[in-house]
Amino acid sequence: MTGTTVDSQIDELSELDVVSVVEEVWATFLGADAFMPLIPLAPGTPAPADPCWDAAITVAGAWQGIIMISLEAGLAHHVTEAMLGLEPGGEHSTEDVVDAVGELVNVIGGNIKGLVPGPSKLSLPMVARAPIRVSSLVELVRLPLAWGEHQLALVVGVPAGGDSVEVGT
Amino acid sequence: MHALIIDDSRTMRSILRRIVTELGFDISEAGNGEEALTLLEDGLVPDLCLIDWNMPLMDGYTFVTRVRADPRWRQITLMMVTTESEHGQIVRALAAGAHEYVIKPFTSEAIIDKLELLGMVAREVPA
Repeated sequence: MTGTTVDSQIDELSELDVVSVVEEVWATFLGADAFMPLIPLAPGTPAPADPCWDAAITVAGAWQGIIMISLEAGLAHHVTEAMLGLEPGGEHSTEDVVDAVGELVNVIGGNIKGLVPGPSKLSLPMVARAPIRVSSLVELVRLPLAWGEHQLALVVGVPAGGDSVEVGT
Repeated sequence: MHALIIDDSRTMRSILRRIVTELGFDISEAGNGEEALTLLEDGLVPDLCLIDWNMPLMDGYTFVTRVRADPRWRQITLMMVTTESEHGQIVRALAAGAHEYVIKPFTSEAIIDKLELLGMVAREVPA
């Protein structure tokens, strides 16, 4: 990262913009279900309870960072059914969940990339049924959200001092 | 009309498949640009390709340049459907020969509007 500080990156990204991206993606992918709104939870609300599906995607270039989403398992399955056009409770595989949750973070991440200085490149998404851990991350935005009885969380962060984001489970 | 959907996400292919099938297209699918090029080399000549940008093995931009460089495939309409929203990327894709550009997330209306602009579907006018 050349000539860019964490402080300047914080200035470049507003929480409202991120909320707007998440709401738009959610409404598009969830279709009719999106009439039930995403409700922001109080700052400091703990991450969704286990078991969760986590997904992450990194941005590398003029802006370096990571976008992560964590969905309660029940919600991940619901999102998968909606995106695949299945009836609620419709048959789907673990592979389907990995693919759908990966596409969800891909689209959210791509749109957040559009809010920060470019040019930059989006990685392919990483999805795990376990917490995704990132070393030395400064969180620019943390959004705990509720959708009906389910919880999800979105984090946008940048590396604290290094040039790239190291991701693992 | 035949559409080739090129995206590494099966979920996204499923979403696009539902939209263009309703418009009367027959569908083929590929998980990346390389797989799509193989289908074309094997004789598939779609009227329309819907192309993601970020894919493993061969990205959508490279696929567009390869298709546009081959006169056999000159008549294929190429539409990028991608999360890449940087102005420079859009200009690059259009300069390489993509006819249209749709940014994810999209509604079915957005896809239909673009196809209508390209003359590939005709919207029914209410009486």
